[in-house]
Amino acid sequence: MPNIPFSQLLRQLPAGVATLEGPELRYGFINEAMRALVGEGAEGQRVVEHPGSLPLTLLEVLARVYATGEPYVAKACICAPAPGAAADQCRYFDLALEPYRDDDQAIAGLLLLALDVSEQEANRQQAHELALVTRRLDTRLRVLTETAPLITFTHDAQGRCTYVSPQWYRFTGQPPTADLTAIWPLLIHPGDRLRVLYEADAARRTGTGWNYEYRLRRFDGQYRWMLSRSLPEVHPPDAPMHWHGALTEVHDQRELADVLRRGEAELRFLADSIPELIWTATAEGFIDYYNRYTTDYSGLHKDDLGPTGWIGLLHSSEQAEAARRWVHSVANGEVYEGEYRMRRHDGAYRWHIIRARQLADGPVLRWFGACTEVHDQYLLRQVLQTQYDELARAHHDLDTFVYAASHDLRQPALNLRGLFDELRRTATFADPDQDQLLAMVDGALTQLDTTLHDLAVTVQTQRTQQEPTEVLDLGLVLEEVLLGLRPQAQARQAHLEVSVKAAPGLVYGRANLRSVLHNLVSNALKFSHPDRPPCIVLRSYLTPDDQPVFEVRENGLGMQLDNPKNPVFQLFVRQHAHIEGTGVGLYLVQRIVRSHGGHVEVASTLGEGSTFTIYWTKPV
Amino acid sequence: MKHIVYISRAVHPLSDEDLQQLLTQSRRDNTRHGITGVLFYSHGNIAQLFEGEEGIADILFERIAQDGRHSHVQKLIDKPITSRSFAEWSMAFHPLEAAGFTALHGFLLPHHVPPMPASLTIADALLVELVGLAVFGPDPSTPYHKLLTSPLDR
Repeated sequence: MPNIPFSQLLRQLPAGVATLEGPELRYGFINEAMRALVGEGAEGQRVVEHPGSLPLTLLEVLARVYATGEPYVAKACICAPAPGAAADQCRYFDLALEPYRDDDQAIAGLLLLALDVSEQEANRQQAHELALVTRRLDTRLRVLTETAPLITFTHDAQGRCTYVSPQWYRFTGQPPTADLTAIWPLLIHPGDRLRVLYEADAARRTGTGWNYEYRLRRFDGQYRWMLSRSLPEVHPPDAPMHWHGALTEVHDQRELADVLRRGEAELRFLADSIPELIWTATAEGFIDYYNRYTTDYSGLHKDDLGPTGWIGLLHSSEQAEAARRWVHSVANGEVYEGEYRMRRHDGAYRWHIIRARQLADGPVLRWFGACTEVHDQYLLRQVLQTQYDELARAHHDLDTFVYAASHDLRQPALNLRGLFDELRRTATFADPDQDQLLAMVDGALTQLDTTLHDLAVTVQTQRTQQEPTEVLDLGLVLEEVLLGLRPQAQARQAHLEVSVKAAPGLVYGRANLRSVLHNLVSNALKFSHPDRPPCIVLRSYLTPDDQPVFEVRENGLGMQLDNPKNPVFQLFVRQHAHIEGTGVGLYLVQRIVRSHGGHVEVASTLGEGSTFTIYWTKPV
Repeated sequence: MKHIVYISRAVHPLSDEDLQQLLTQSRRDNTRHGITGVLFYSHGNIAQLFEGEEGIADILFERIAQDGRHSHVQKLIDKPITSRSFAEWSMAFHPLEAAGFTALHGFLLPHHVPPMPASLTIADALLVELVGLAVFGPDPSTPYHKLLTSPLDR
């Protein structure tokens, strides 16, 4: 039995205890703790008159509790702050009212108990607030995971699906009542199912995450490629119990990658099927791809050839030059082109044209090259070149021969002429026909002389066809030519009209130009009509395309032409045999004009006249 | 015996001190192991040809490949050779202060790099020339700024 009196214990109780006596509920006993609540000097007072910090609600039920005898408990009543404390520091008390009875079992008063639960209340409130915040965050997270275009899931250590976000149902079209663990594998494409189950199983066994792609059946029956990644929830040292992951659609990216891969394969296939050596090189000039034909042709594999080994395929005498050119191209980005012999797998060297150019493959520069075999064409070209050279030589020899012949024949012809003249002078002939005969011989000799002369001129002209061109004043040259032909013009009483103002200048060879003009005017004079004096119009003008043209219009005998646009003047073929001449003039003119790229056109009517049109240059 | 050619990119540009140290150290090591050849350096671009006994060359390349001072190491040639083409090991680069380097053994200014020895096949000589072009640019007498582009194997 403790020695401390009971009343002392009560007084020191940490809970507030007070008695409210009698029907007027006057304070009787108030312990220390209760004093903090009701204040000092409350003994004997009626509780309603001295409530202290007791809440109104308690006061209201006092009478009822006293009358009915039913105890009253109020938890966490808010009470006014302690006197002297700050206004916002409310206190919370658990209050209890217990009626007590006297010996006759009549209610004698109420026992008031107050327990300070301020701290607990504060904690409770804080916890409540925290719970609210948590719930808010939780909602946000839920909204995020459930609306984001991603399926999130949780599987347990046995492979059962314990959670899946709503997006799963939306994607698969399955009802909310579906048994996830059972039905999910069935929605995986049969071709991927085994692999998926194996990989997931392996991950669970090793306690690691997984990362794989598979086709999942969509609500419309189409299989779409998905990427599934998950990680275990680890709480060491225990083995993981849950795997959390996400499933995202990668169908389009996968298709794109496939297309790219197929495209590249097709390009390779294309490059491999072309029967040419095709290769690509980096911007630095290292070859990184040889097509299949290259391997077949050379008999060497890509690794044997290496980044610069292709040089070894070239003929040894050409390697250094080809290498130098390649370095130059790589340094300057210039197109690479060359004709080289390349060694075939059987050791034979075949001529190839190697061409390469730099192209931008996006931001990256690459070289693209091809080697085309031209061996047969090359040999053919050699043959043709040889034949051409021989032909040119033969032609030249012929010309020289003709020139020499005509030259050498001139002297004898001159001698003949001299001797004949002498004979004519000194000899006397009895025959009256003699005169006619002499005249015929005279004519024949003249003809011989002229022919030889013109032959020499023709050959000479050929030689001068290569003469350099210069800017010539057409008017001046024409004046020179006309001056030379003045005797003939005067003899025929020719009327000449010259208008060269429209196109006065011409880039031509001087001797050639003079030759052309001389021949044309000379012809115009020679082939004049016997009934009328020659009227020759010489005109120089520019076509609408700015091409220089020279026109000779005369009223002479005219001629027969098959094709006025493309007349054929054959050497020594003459239309008017009765007029002296050799038939070389127009042939020469055409040759000269043609050799400068121009052409001759003639419009002519027999008996009326001709118009010769010289187009000096090639039409643009 | 074999020779190896590779190109790479320095992680940080090498200063004159770094280059000098690399030169002296490499010459020391390479002379000891019978490694000869030449190294080109310019603005972060590195290229090297070295020749030596097969085993030693392979070990050296392994070490080079692991060296943290450079990355994107691409081996261009790894071939056996019958005889050496280089008498010693040297380095060609543009120092910022040329004065300190002219007396250094094994140092070459890029435009003083002699033409490749005739003992190299034209293919290999071409490769070294292209590599030199890539590192030093079209005019080796002036320093050149251009990073080597994408790798050889795609």
